[in-house]
Amino acid sequence: MLGILPTLHAQDAAFFESKVQPLLRANCLACHSEKNLTSGLSLETRESITKGGNRGPAVKTGNPAQSLMIEAVKHTGALKMPPGQRLKDEQIAVLEEWVKRGLPMPAALLKSKRPGADHWAFQAPKKATLPAVQQASWVRNPIDHFILAKIESAKLKPSAEAGRATLLRRVSLDLIGLPPTPMELEEFLNDQRPQAYEKAVDRLLASPHYGERWARVWLDIARYADSDGYTIDAPREIWMYRDWVINALNQDMPFDQFVIEQLAGDLLPNPTKAQLIATGFHRNTPSNFEGGIDFEQYRVEAVADRVQTTGAAFLGLTLGCARCHDHKYDPISQREFYQFFAFLNNVDEVDREADRREFNKPFLALGNEEEMKRYNAWEAQLQTLEMELTQYREKNALAGLQDPAALERQRGIDAHRRRMPKVQRTLIMRELPKPRQSYIHLGGDFTRRGSNVEPGVPAVLPPLAKKDRAPNRLDLAEWLVAKNHPLTSRVTVNRAWQKFFGKGIVDTENDFGSVGDKPTHPELLDWLAMEFMDRRWSQKALHKVIVMSATYRQSSEGRADVKAADPENRMLARQNRLRLEAELVRDSALVACGLFSAKVGGPSVYPPLPAGANTVTQVKREWKTSTGPDRYRRGLYTYFQRSAPHPGLILFDAPDATVTCTRRIRSNSPLQALTLLNDEAFFEFAQAFAKKLAEDKDTTDEARIRKGYMLTLNRQPSSMEAARVSKLLAAQRDAKRDETAAWTAVSRVLLNLDEFMTRE
Amino acid sequence: MTFDDKLTLARTRRQLFRDCGVGVGKMALATLLGEQAFGARHHPAKIEHVIYLFMAGGPSHLEMLDYKPELVKWDAKPTPDSMLKGKRFAFMDSFAKETPKLLGTRRKFTQHGRNGTWFSDLLPHMAGVADDVTVLQGVSTENFNHGPAKLFSNTGSFRPGRPAIGSWVTYGIGSESKDMPGYVVLQSGPRGPRGGASLWGSGFLPTAYQGIPFLSVGDPILDLSTPKGVGNEEQRQTLDAIRDLNKVRYEATADEEILTRISQYEMAYRMQSSGPELIDLSKESDATKALYGVEAGKPSYANNCLLARRLVERGVRFVQLYHTDWDHHDDITKPLDKVSREIDQPTAALITDLKQRGLLDKTLVIWGGEFGRTPMGEVREKGKIGRNHHIDAYSLVMAGGGINHGITVGGTDELGFSPSEQIEVHDVHATILHLLGINHLKLTYRFQGRDFRLTDIKGRLIDKLLA
Repeated sequence: MLGILPTLHAQDAAFFESKVQPLLRANCLACHSEKNLTSGLSLETRESITKGGNRGPAVKTGNPAQSLMIEAVKHTGALKMPPGQRLKDEQIAVLEEWVKRGLPMPAALLKSKRPGADHWAFQAPKKATLPAVQQASWVRNPIDHFILAKIESAKLKPSAEAGRATLLRRVSLDLIGLPPTPMELEEFLNDQRPQAYEKAVDRLLASPHYGERWARVWLDIARYADSDGYTIDAPREIWMYRDWVINALNQDMPFDQFVIEQLAGDLLPNPTKAQLIATGFHRNTPSNFEGGIDFEQYRVEAVADRVQTTGAAFLGLTLGCARCHDHKYDPISQREFYQFFAFLNNVDEVDREADRREFNKPFLALGNEEEMKRYNAWEAQLQTLEMELTQYREKNALAGLQDPAALERQRGIDAHRRRMPKVQRTLIMRELPKPRQSYIHLGGDFTRRGSNVEPGVPAVLPPLAKKDRAPNRLDLAEWLVAKNHPLTSRVTVNRAWQKFFGKGIVDTENDFGSVGDKPTHPELLDWLAMEFMDRRWSQKALHKVIVMSATYRQSSEGRADVKAADPENRMLARQNRLRLEAELVRDSALVACGLFSAKVGGPSVYPPLPAGANTVTQVKREWKTSTGPDRYRRGLYTYFQRSAPHPGLILFDAPDATVTCTRRIRSNSPLQALTLLNDEAFFEFAQAFAKKLAEDKDTTDEARIRKGYMLTLNRQPSSMEAARVSKLLAAQRDAKRDETAAWTAVSRVLLNLDEFMTRE
Repeated sequence: MTFDDKLTLARTRRQLFRDCGVGVGKMALATLLGEQAFGARHHPAKIEHVIYLFMAGGPSHLEMLDYKPELVKWDAKPTPDSMLKGKRFAFMDSFAKETPKLLGTRRKFTQHGRNGTWFSDLLPHMAGVADDVTVLQGVSTENFNHGPAKLFSNTGSFRPGRPAIGSWVTYGIGSESKDMPGYVVLQSGPRGPRGGASLWGSGFLPTAYQGIPFLSVGDPILDLSTPKGVGNEEQRQTLDAIRDLNKVRYEATADEEILTRISQYEMAYRMQSSGPELIDLSKESDATKALYGVEAGKPSYANNCLLARRLVERGVRFVQLYHTDWDHHDDITKPLDKVSREIDQPTAALITDLKQRGLLDKTLVIWGGEFGRTPMGEVREKGKIGRNHHIDAYSLVMAGGGINHGITVGGTDELGFSPSEQIEVHDVHATILHLLGINHLKLTYRFQGRDFRLTDIKGRLIDKLLA
C-alpha cells in the first residue's frame, strides 16, 4: 500500500510543512505520538494515522466527512478533540484539506517506527563461538566456557567441585525433588569410575519422580489448584491435567509439543483424550460463582489472565501492562493486547446468568465403558430437553419468561442435571463454533467498547505463519514455538537455569522487556536457547547439560573473595545454597522417616491439617484426612484449596495459585519453625524416624546418630555434631524420658536443621 | 573436647574469617539482636498501629449512619430512571424484572456529640463515643460482588493475588512486636469472610508479610503448642540443639540465611509462650470485660476487640477483625438488629479502652464493610424487604491518632445514592499509609515489570480527615 504512494509534490510538501505539521505539533502530538500513543493513536506517521487507535482509523484518506479525526476536531460527535478547546475554523479547514489531498507527508514520516524494536530480546538468538579461557582443564562442557571466561575476567577462580555426597544430594533434589537413599549414596560413593556422576544423572532423569518434581515447577506457572477460588471456592476436578504434566515430562515430550498441546490440544486434528486433558492449562484460572455476579466480567478476567500468563510463561513479557493502556516501556500497544486476547477469547465458557448451571464448562468426561455409556445417554437427553425448551419458547414467544409451562420444562432440565451419572471429569478448552467478537476495552473496562480487533501477535515479534483462514489458538501456540521466535526458547532455558542456580541468567525471569534485567551472560543464554531447540526441545537434555557442567558441580560454600568481588554471586564462582521448596521439605522428611509413598498421580490427597486451618473461609469445606499410604504422599498431591491453602505449603512460599508464578520466593519465618517443630504431620514423621533409628537393637548411640545424619543430611556427622546430639540424648535420659521419647527428640532436631531443608 | 569447647574454637575461626574482610551477616545479626531492620518512614508517623474492623457483607449505611429523611418521604415510590440508567448492580435480574421501589429507613436517627453526628438506634454505644470518632460518608468502591469487593477494600484490586494493606504496611515499616507476627487477623461471626486467605495474603510480597489468622478455638496460631507429650523443658532442649548445630553449619558455609533461621526459631519459641498469654483474658479486670461485653470462654467479636487491644499493646502493627453476616438482601430488620448488637458495644468499648490507656493517639481504628446498600428496596420473599449491594456511597467510621474527631467527612445526595464529594477506597488507603508515615506513591514493589502500589494508579489524601 505504501509502495504505490505517489511521490510528494512540492506544493503538498510545502502545505504539510508550513500548515499541517505546526498545527499537529501544537495541538495533537503531545498525546498522539509514536511514543505516547494515547488511546493507541499516533498522528506522527501516515501509517499510524490510517491504522488509527483504539477507536479505529483516524482518517479515511481523501474523505474528510468519514474521518474520525475531522469529526473529533469539529466537535460534532461524542469524541471532542483536542480536549477542552476547539480548534479555529481555519485550522480545521487545513486538516480537512490535508485529508482530502490524501495525507501527503514526507518520506520519513510514511512508515511507523517501532521504538524499542531493537531491544536485545526481540532479536533472534545467535550461537556465539566459545570464549577462550585460561583454566581449560576446569571446563566440562560449553556452559563452563561462558561462565569461566567471565570469572577470569574478574580475576577470580571457580570453586572446587562439591564433595561427592553433597553433589549427589544436590542433583537428586534438583532432578527428582527427593534426597538420595543411603543405598544410592553408598553405591555412588563406591563407584570411582569417571562416569559415575553421569550414570547417577541418567538414573535420576529416568526416574518417575523426575516428572513429579518438574511438574510442580510447571504447575506454579499454570496456577494449578483443586478449587475455584474467589468467593465460593468449590472443589474442581482438574487433577488429570496435573497428571498429564507429570507424564509429559517423564516421557520427555518435546517442549514445543508440550506447549502446543496445552494451549491448543483441542484444535489439533482428531485430538486424543490426553491432548484434550492438556488444555486444562488455561482452565486453571480462578472462577467466580458468587450470587449476583455478571458472569461476563469474570470470564473476561479469566481471558485477560490467560494473556498475562502466556506472556509471562513463554514470552517473558509483561503483556498485562497493556490491558488498560499501551505498554509504558515495551513496544506493545493496547490494541495488540486485545489482538492477543482475541486468540483466547473463544472458549465455550459461561458468560451469562442464564447458563449458571453449566458453570465451569467445558468438561471432558472420562470413565470406563459402562460409565461413559450412561454419561453419554444422560448428555443426549439433556440436549433433547434443552432443545425442546428452546423450541417451546420460540413457538410461544409472547408467553414471557414466567410462562408456567416453560418454567416446568426448566425445572425438568434442572432435575435432569442433578441426575448426572457419576463419572470422572476434567476442565478443558473447547472453541465456540463462532468466535466471539473481541474489542478493545477502553481503560481496561470491558463495558467500555473500543474498536473491534481480530486475533494477531505483537508487531515487534515475528509474524504468524500465513494460513488461508482466520488465525486461531493453534496458530498462536505454533507461533510461540516457531524456530524464529526470539523469546520462548530463551525464556524457558532461563527458567530452568533459575531452578539449578537460584537465579536466572536474566534475573527478571518474567520480564525480558526493556525495563527487565539484562542477561548476565547473553551468549550463554543464546547458546542454551539454540541448543534447546537443536536438541528437539528436549527438557531432559537441557537439564542434563546444565547439571553435567563444572559450573553446576561447584561447592556452595561462601568465599571471602567472591563475596567481595561479586556479592550477589552473579558470576557463579560458586554454587548457591537454596532452601527447599515447600513440597520438598515435606517430601524429604517423608523419605528420611521411611513413610514416603512413591505412588505417582491420581486424585489429590488430604494429609493432616492443623486444627482450625480451614475455618476462615466463607463455605466450610470438609477436610477428610487421608489414611494409609495417601497420608504420606508427596507435597504436590496435597489438595490445594485456594481460599485456605494447606499451611505447610503456603508458609514455605508455595504460590497461592491465583496468578501465574514463575519464581518462588524463599522466605525464612518463625511460622516455618512452628510447623516443623510442632505440626502433627511432622511430629508423626519424627516419631517414625525415631522408631527407624531404634530398629537395630544391638547398635550404639553413636551408630544411630550416624544413621540419623545419613538419612536426613546424607552425610556423616562431624565429631562435634555427634557430641552435640549425644548431649541432647543425655539430657533426655537425665530427665527420665523413655528411649522412644529421647530418640524422637533427636529426630525432631535433625528434621529441623537448616541443612535438612537446604540444597547445598 | 566437649561440644562447647569445639564451638568456641569454631567461633574463633569465624572471627578470623571475618577479619579477612568478610562482613558476616550484618542484616541477619541485626535481626538476631532484635534490631529494627526497617523504620525508614517517608515522613513522621502520626500513628503506630491500625485496627481494621471489617464488617463483611456490606452494612447498610442508610440504616446506621447516613440519615436520609428525604428517602423516608419517597418510601415505596418507584426508583427514578435516572438512578438506574447505565448502572450495573449485583443481581441485575431482580432489578430488571420490575422497577425497584425506594425504601426509607425505619430506624430512628438522633444527633450526638458536640457537632451533632447522626447515629441510628442500632448504634447506641458508638453514639456515646461520637466525639472520638469521625464518620466518612459517600465512600465509593469499584465492584458490586462480595468476594471481589472485599479484595478491593483490602488490596486495592478486585483481582486476587495482590498484597493486603497489612502486608504492605509491615513490608514498608516492619513491626515493633518481638514475639507476635506484625499483621494479625481475627475472625468472628457465623462463617469466614468470602475470599478467605486471599484477603490477608501477601500477594507478590514475601510470605513473611501475610496476615496471620489467630483462631478462637485451639491454638491461637497454627501449630503453636508443642506436640502432645512434649514438655516445655524438652522443647527448649530441642531448640538449643537445633541452634547449636545450625551454628556449626554456619561456620562451615558462611551463609547468613542460617543466622536468620536461628533467630526465627527463637522467635517461634517466644511466640509459644506469648501466644497463650495473649489469649488468656482472665487477667483482664471485670470492669474491662464488662465494658466490652466479653463472655468467658465464648469466642465473639467482643473477645476479638479486646484481643485487638492486647495485640496493639504488644506492638503488633496491623490487626484486622472480620465480623460476618451483614448481607441483608432479604430482610433489613431483625437480622440487622442482631449483628448490630454484636458489634456496637465492643466497638465503642475498644475506642474507650484504647483512649483510657493512652493508646488511641497512636492507633487508627477503622470500622466498615466492602460496600453499602441501595436506597432501593429488594423483595426476595413476600412480606420482607431488604437492600441490594451499593458501591457508589457507603459509610466508614474512624477513630484514633492523627485525624479530626467528632466530625463528618464527605456526604451523599438526599437519597443516599451518590456521593456529594468523591472518597474512594484508594483515598482511604492513601490516608491510612500517610498516618503511618508512608507516602503511598513511594511504597512500591516491582512485579512482572511494573511497580505496583496499594493505591494502584489512584489515591488522594482525605485532607478534611487529617488533623
